[in-house]
Parts: sequence; structure tokens; C-alpha cells
Amino acid sequence: MKTDVAVIGAGVVGCAVARELTRWNLNVVVLEAGSDVAEGASKANSAIVHAGFDAQPGTNKAKFNVLGNRMFEDVCRELKVPFRRNGSLVLAFGEDDEKTLAELKSRGEANGVPTEIITQEELRRREPNVSPEATAALWAPTGGICCPYELTFRYAENAAANGAEFFFDAKVVSISRAVPRGDAPCDAPFPYCVVCEDGREFIARAVVNCAGCHSDEINNLIAPVKYSITARRGEYLMLDRDEDGAFSSTMFQCPGKMGKGILVSPTVDGTVIVGPTAEDVADKEDKATTYAGLEKVKAGARRTWPGLPLGKVIAEFSGMRAHETTQGDFVIGEASGAPGFFNALGVESPGLTSAPAIGVSLAEEVAAFLKVSRKNPSLISKDVSWWPKTREMPPEELAALVERDPSFGRVVCRCEEITEGEIRASIRARVGARTLDGIKRRTRSGMGRCQGGFCTPRLIEILGSELGLPPEAFLLSRKTAPLALKAQAAGNGEQGTGNGFLDVLVVGAGPAGLAAACAAKETLRGTGNGERGTDGNVLVIERDDAPGGILQQCIHNGFGLHRFKEELTGPEYAQRFVDKAASLGIPVVCGTMVLDVQPQPDGGARVTAMSPRGGLKIYKTRSVVLAMGCRERPRGALMTPGTRPAGVYTAGTVQRLVNMDGIMPGRRVVILGSGDIGLIMARRLTFSGAKVLACVEIMKKSSGLMRNVVQCLNDYDIPLLLSHTVTDVEGREHVTGVKVAKVDDNLKPIPGTEMHFDCDTLVLSCGLIPENELTKKAGVEMVPKTRGPKVDPKTMATSVPGIFAGGNVVRVYDLVDWVSRDSEIAGRSAAKYAKEVRL
Amino acid sequence: MKMICINCPRGCEMDVEKRDNGDVSVSGNACPRGEAYAKSEIVNPTRMVTGLVRVAGMRKPLPVKTRTAIPKGRIDAVLFALHQTTVQLPVKIGDVIIPDVAETGVDVVATANM
Repeated sequence: MKTDVAVIGAGVVGCAVARELTRWNLNVVVLEAGSDVAEGASKANSAIVHAGFDAQPGTNKAKFNVLGNRMFEDVCRELKVPFRRNGSLVLAFGEDDEKTLAELKSRGEANGVPTEIITQEELRRREPNVSPEATAALWAPTGGICCPYELTFRYAENAAANGAEFFFDAKVVSISRAVPRGDAPCDAPFPYCVVCEDGREFIARAVVNCAGCHSDEINNLIAPVKYSITARRGEYLMLDRDEDGAFSSTMFQCPGKMGKGILVSPTVDGTVIVGPTAEDVADKEDKATTYAGLEKVKAGARRTWPGLPLGKVIAEFSGMRAHETTQGDFVIGEASGAPGFFNALGVESPGLTSAPAIGVSLAEEVAAFLKVSRKNPSLISKDVSWWPKTREMPPEELAALVERDPSFGRVVCRCEEITEGEIRASIRARVGARTLDGIKRRTRSGMGRCQGGFCTPRLIEILGSELGLPPEAFLLSRKTAPLALKAQAAGNGEQGTGNGFLDVLVVGAGPAGLAAACAAKETLRGTGNGERGTDGNVLVIERDDAPGGILQQCIHNGFGLHRFKEELTGPEYAQRFVDKAASLGIPVVCGTMVLDVQPQPDGGARVTAMSPRGGLKIYKTRSVVLAMGCRERPRGALMTPGTRPAGVYTAGTVQRLVNMDGIMPGRRVVILGSGDIGLIMARRLTFSGAKVLACVEIMKKSSGLMRNVVQCLNDYDIPLLLSHTVTDVEGREHVTGVKVAKVDDNLKPIPGTEMHFDCDTLVLSCGLIPENELTKKAGVEMVPKTRGPKVDPKTMATSVPGIFAGGNVVRVYDLVDWVSRDSEIAGRSAAKYAKEVRL
Repeated sequence: MKMICINCPRGCEMDVEKRDNGDVSVSGNACPRGEAYAKSEIVNPTRMVTGLVRVAGMRKPLPVKTRTAIPKGRIDAVLFALHQTTVQLPVKIGDVIIPDVAETGVDVVATANM
């Protein structure tokens, strides 16, 4: 294919260059070795827009940092990307550091960056969580934060809207000036022939090398001046949104030789990022996290933030910076001896900040070289394939949107409240998502605290329906499933009820919610006061498409021994309560997500719920029973080092895939943790033809029930390795193996005890956490130990009058029989409260 | 020998002794079900099997179980029979899906309404 400019690399620099090139009368192609935009350094970095005081004056780093920083407001407004100038602080711990601050300040002055040194008192006034050891700080008001992959993606969208074409899985292996094959002769003075690994060939009059860590290899294919790039790995921890507000500014420590040190920063998404380490690695794609690295991040971050709450870690990851080894500076511009070949080479930190300026600068250089004019501004599209972010919308607008397009009322990712409409839009965009990761980075679905545990099965279903591929295709690898024609999305039916004044509204139709609803109805029955009928109004709202909760996927037996004196399977147990609720005439509204429970000053509560059919609804109710259940601890919370390939699932996700969706995730399985779901899944996977190699438990005894160890592991000769843990996960695209080591009494791995398992799947069964977002929003007092609301066990009343709670939302139960029993108490108490409250 | 009762979540750890005359003595159990389990586990261990069968025209499988426990040695045969089976909807809880599965004398029944 013939074009004017071939941009190699679709990271933030490549996409910025491509977008700026489309402002000129040029045809542009972007060739990306990965399966998506932002697959390299752009997907895993500190997400900081640096002020620019750190770079040595006179370097390209200083120049583009300062220019780029000034452009960020405009660029982010044009591309509709969130950006916040939250300012940054460099902390000094003692006199030596304070000298460094003074140096940084004068460097800032040379670079034209305003800074100010503030005292310890002022620092602690601004950032109450900062360490008391910090003696002073350098304040740079122009520092900011931005979402790097969203910026990259919108750059790509706007480039594509203006005619740039993107080619993925297009790894460039050769660049030459050979006369092009084919019939049409090339008219440019120095045509380049760029060939990809799979044989695709592009004839371009100019080439721009934005290949990140591989930019040396691309340069060395054609330019006489050779470069070498070292991949410098940085490991990070991401903390839950609960910690939003811990710091308002980006908190740096004094920089060292290897980089800017460990920072603690808010992100535009409300999480807190902590990191990075800096370690030169031989393999440019070795993005594994390590035990030592994560320890270093923790220790470094604690220096800034002594109260660092490790329990709030939701993910750990590492990113790669392209460090140019000779000068350590960005190499920007035309390569000498290779006219028409332009480099953006060695763009490490502050690369994100510099990207807008590098884009404009290189585009101007290329345009001058090719002697082309600027496009008529009226012909330049401003489109960035924007879609509404439902979680940020005011209720009235959201209601109107859901009426127009019901898919924006169906919440798929419950942690981040991302709807099906947003996910479909991210796939349908010009440079649309083709992988689970692609969706995640475009929408944040799967990026929240459960890390995709609940939404992965739904996402592969949506990807499959949009792209016309079987859902399994998206579990195979982190790479793209083959591109395919878009399939028509199927509609979905759903029931609904009107606005009304209720006695008891139950959130959740699992065993807890249904038991509470039945008990509430029975308590109200025949005793309701005359003014509002007799039976009492009880309503259950459920986010899933059917009632029954997690029991629907627990197809094994062992439920109900106490309650029904017989051994039932999960669906059978659930069905008893579904039938009971139906016989009592309790409406269960499915496919509806409760977004908010707000207690009212004069009693009762307003409950906001959203569904595809019904849109946004507000229910007024006299009392509420919270029965949202619990979720699994994701990998991030366990801080298991290693790569982050496909093939790592929580036990519940595997249970859903196998038992509900008919999908086998793998053939050779290691299970980490010996929770009951993990044990049950060891047997289920064995039944379904997989080989379960081992169940690995860090503690000295199984956390699951002994009966499950006997009938799920021992019966099938599956070894249970107690006092062992997984110390490394291997595999780039898909899991290829795990390392397991014995741990000492402090749960630290013992060197020399490692063993290796070849496996394609790692299943995590490391405990459950009550799901209490709504509870916290409602202002209910929480118990840190159980992570559930504080309740009076006699009534299951929370600290807020009229709000009750039952089941795993309160604490994680071993047995569903006790969930039902305690939830019935909650239901009866809620009914009594509803009868007594005067509204 | 030591044995853990699988009847209920309590998981009693029992001492089970088989005498030469064929009698079995059980201690450590909290209820009679433990004794019954231990005796049967020594003579003829049995298990409930829960599993999945294919549904015609659908990806989602139907969950099923053996109505009562079957001999432990027959689990593979039961799983094979489940694998060979495809059901037509609708199905209700308790519907017999495979009568006398793998000649165990036990029926496989549906455990969900679909």
C-alpha cells in the first residue's frame, strides 16, 4: 500500500504524531506491532503531566516537557480527555534533600517552570497524610494528572476521523529504499519500503519512528547513526477508589540517577497510584512484577505515606520505559543520513507530558520535508468517537439517554459502573476495542476493585456478539481475536414496576435478599394499616438477569442441610426461595442496578435504580434491606508477582464460565488458595476433563471446609500444598506456568523451595469480601474487620434507622442456611420498622 | 484409620476400625450419620455426583445431580453418561434426565428450571 507517511508505533507519541500529521494534506498510516493502541509504555506509567523542573536545561526532555505541559488543557479539551492540574510536590527528608530542592528550583527557573519551596507546616496543612519526616517540599503548581491510555486512544480516534489508517499486529521487520514492487511508480524523492513480519508492505515518502522501547531497532534498520535503548522496568501498585483524596497533589521524592523515585499520586479516575521502581531489564517485553520490586514500592511509598493501606491494593503491574543509553535524552527529529526518516526515540519520562509537543513538532518537520500545506481548518474533523460516561452523568440526562438507548441502562462492570452501551461504543469506535484489555482501557470496565471477576464473562459475550466470534476466542490470549464483521447486537427483555411508596425495598435477589423479602412480606401480611392496603409493599431489585444470586452457579450439592434437612444443590436451594417469593406475590425486578440508597431526614429512604427498559427510577421506601452479597478477592489484592497474562481467574469466574456459560477456561490448572469455591472448582474442572495439578494454600490449614478437602481434592488425588504460595506467574499472552514455594512462619517464601508447574490456568480462591459500596454511600457505619456494616444481631439493623442488612454483605458466611436465617431477621425487622415509621 | 465425615460442614474427624469379624467400630462422630458414613465408606464408599449436561441449541448447560449417592467407583461412568447426553427444553427441577445412570439404579435429575 502507498502512503505519504508511515508512523511506526501506536503509543501516545505515535498517535499524537499521526493526529498532528492529519492536520496537513497528507495520507497517514500507523503500524503497530501490538494488537491495540497504547500497548507499550503508554498503558503502564505514572500518568503524570510533569511540570518540567526536573529535566536538565537545554535538553529535549526539558524543551518538550515544558511545551507539552502548556498544551495539555487545550489538547485534553479537544480530545475530551480528563485532565487535572493538581500540582506536584517534591518532598525533602532532611538537609541534603533540601539542597536538592534548591537545585530543582533553579533548574525549574532555567526551564521557565514556576516553583516555590514550602515549609513543613505548610506541607502538612496541604497534605495531612504526608509523613512527619518530610521537612520541606518544592511546590510546582503546573504539575498535573491525566489518563495515558485514554489520551492515546482519543488521539488515535481523532487521527482516524481525519483519515489516518491503523494497522495492528503489524510488526515492522525491514525498512529499505528499494524501488517499490507493483505497477505504480512512486513519485517521492526518497520512498521508503516498510515491510511487516506477516509480509504486509507499505511504501511511504516519510517514516516516523515512535516505536518506544523498540525505537532503537527501527532506527537501526535504516539510519546510519545507531542507537541503543535499555528497557527500564517500573513496578506499581494501584489502590482502590476508597483512598481517593488521600493526597491532592502528586507526591514525589527527591530524584535519583535512575529516575524520579517512588511517587504517590491521585489519578483522574479517583484511584491512587504508587510507584515506580526503576530496573534495567534485558528483555524489553518482560513486564512481570517481582516480589522484591513490590516490596521496594511499598517501602518507598511508606516513606511518603506512612499510613499506606495495603489492604486497599487492587492491582499491581509494571511498565517499561525506553531509556536511550548514550545521552539519556529524547532523540527527536530527522535522522542524519536518512532524509525523510524521523525519530521520536528514547521517549521515557516525561514522555506522556511531551507527547503533544513532539506530535506537533514532528508533524511540522515532516510536512516541511514533503512540502505540503496545512489542511483547511473547516475540513478537519473534531470527532473523537466520544460516548457518554454514565457514572458521571446527572440523573435526568442519564434517564433520557437510557430511554433513547436502553443498553446504557445495563450495568456490566459493577465496580466502575460501566454500562453495556459504553462497552459497545468502545468496540464500535474507529479504532475500536478488539480485546478484553482494549475494552478495559477504553471504558475502565474490569479496572475496579474486583478486577474483572464479575464482568469478564459478560465482556466476552459482548465482544463476541459485536465482532461475530465465539466468546472463548477472547480468553485465549491478551492479543486480538481475528478481526471479523460486526454482528448485530441482540435485544433483551426485562420486567419492570412503577414508581411507588414501598414498605420494604430489598437490594439483591440472592438467598439473603429473597429470604428477607419473604420474611418481610409475611410480617406485613394482614397487618398493614388501612390507608395503604393490607399486604404491605415489598419489592426486590436484582442486577442479574435472574433471581438466585451466586447460588445459580453453585451446582454442587451440600446446601440446606439445616434449613430443609436435605442436601440440595445451589440452584435447587435458590429455587425454593424464588418459588416462595412468587407465591407471596413479591415482585422481583431483574436486570436493574441500584445506584444509590439515600436515607431521608424524616425517615425512610430514596433508592435510585437503573435498568435498560425502565431507565432511571427513584423508589421511595419506608425501609431498606441491603443484601448485595460479596465478591472475590482479585489477584491484585494478593500481590502475586509475575506477568499478567490471560488465564488467571478467580474461582467464581471459572465457576460462572463452566457452569453457566458452558466455557472451559483451560486444561491444566493450578489453584491458589483453598477457599471452598476453589475446592469445589477443583472437582468441577476435573469432572469437565481438566487436570488440576495442585491446590496451593499459604496458611497451615485449608481455609475451606474439611468435607470439601476430602470430597473435592482427596477423592481425585489432587495434592493440597499447605504453607506454600505462588511466587511467580509465567507467560506473556497466556499463562504457561507458575512457580510455587514453601513459606516460613511469616508467610515469606523460603528460597530454594521453588517448584514449577506447567499449566495454562491459575485459579484464585483466596477469600471473599462483602460488597458494600451502597452501604457506605448511604452513610452506614462500617466494621473494618468484617468490611461489613455494623449491625445489631437481634434485628440486623444498621446504624442508619430504616436500613437493615442481611447475608454476605454483613460478613462472609460459611453456610447459606445461616444467610437465610439472619436475613429473615433483617426482613422481619424492616417490616416492623415500616409499620411503625410515620411518613 | 482416621476419616473425616463429609455429611455436613462440621467435618468430624473419626477413628474407624474394621475388625477381623467384619464389624466396624466408629468413634469421634457427633451424630449417627457419621457412623453410617464411616461404615459405608469402608465397605462401599458412595458419593453424590453433580454435573452438567448439554442443552439442545444452547450454550448454557443444564445442572443435574444423581438423586442419591452412587458407588464412588462409578463416578467416571456417570460423568461419561452425562457427557453423552443432550436434553431438550423445557426442563423442571426433579425431571429425570437419565434413568438408572450407568446401571447404578440411581436416576440423574435436573436441579434447575430451564
